[in-house]
Amino acid sequence: MLSVMENNFTHPSAAEAADALQELADDRTHLASNIRVPWPLLAGFGALAAWWVATAASTTPGENYEPPITGWLALVGVFVIAHLIRREIGVRFSKMGAGASWSMAGILVTCFALFSVSLGLVSFGLHWAVSLTSVAAFGVTTLLSGVAFRSAIDKLHND
Amino acid sequence: MTDARFDETIHAPVRLRTCGLLRAVDQLDFAVLRDALEVSDATLSKHLKTLASAGYVAHTKGASVGRNDARRITWIALTSQGKSAFDSHMRALQEIATPKH
Repeated sequence: MLSVMENNFTHPSAAEAADALQELADDRTHLASNIRVPWPLLAGFGALAAWWVATAASTTPGENYEPPITGWLALVGVFVIAHLIRREIGVRFSKMGAGASWSMAGILVTCFALFSVSLGLVSFGLHWAVSLTSVAAFGVTTLLSGVAFRSAIDKLHND
Repeated sequence: MTDARFDETIHAPVRLRTCGLLRAVDQLDFAVLRDALEVSDATLSKHLKTLASAGYVAHTKGASVGRNDARRITWIALTSQGKSAFDSHMRALQEIATPKH
């Protein structure tokens, strides 16, 4: 029996080779389907975006405008949350997929646009309205982070 | 394109499946890999040791705030040599599975 098994390891038949390839595909599908989207941590990205947009309320738009340093702190926060996500799911993706790239670009564009709108609102004295742009930043960033994460899972499943 | 080369070290079922999962990612946590393969810690450790001896896999202990040593994350990854060997083995399997007439 052992010699037959050893023979299968060294000289598999066409059917055995096809079965082995199918099993590898099944394993990948199983791994991908077991990964849960870590929404609480993705909401952390949203919270960082909301915080950054909200800092527009404490600035003084105009000639004396100085960008807040919270942008750099938020960037550090992004790396910390990314690390926590990897630790939570136990997977470091090698490829995230095109959907993730578009989502990340969408997050950046949206946050810069909302920050600019916030500065405009502050210049008109509408400090309270920054809370609305901040909530929008939270929602869009959390949602698009989820899309990026799903894209990485799909890439793992389909590649 | 990678040349086809049947690798007996890789082809043992658990080791083949281990390499297959590791090839799809950058790194996997030991526990996630064990659960995906549905094998025991000891079985997986034994096969990883064989793959590591061949220079195909490497592991690193992840920093773990709030976790004691026993629960530290162990990240497993294919080395570049392992990726190359696995890709060659996959080509060999594909050729066996779909022989040219």
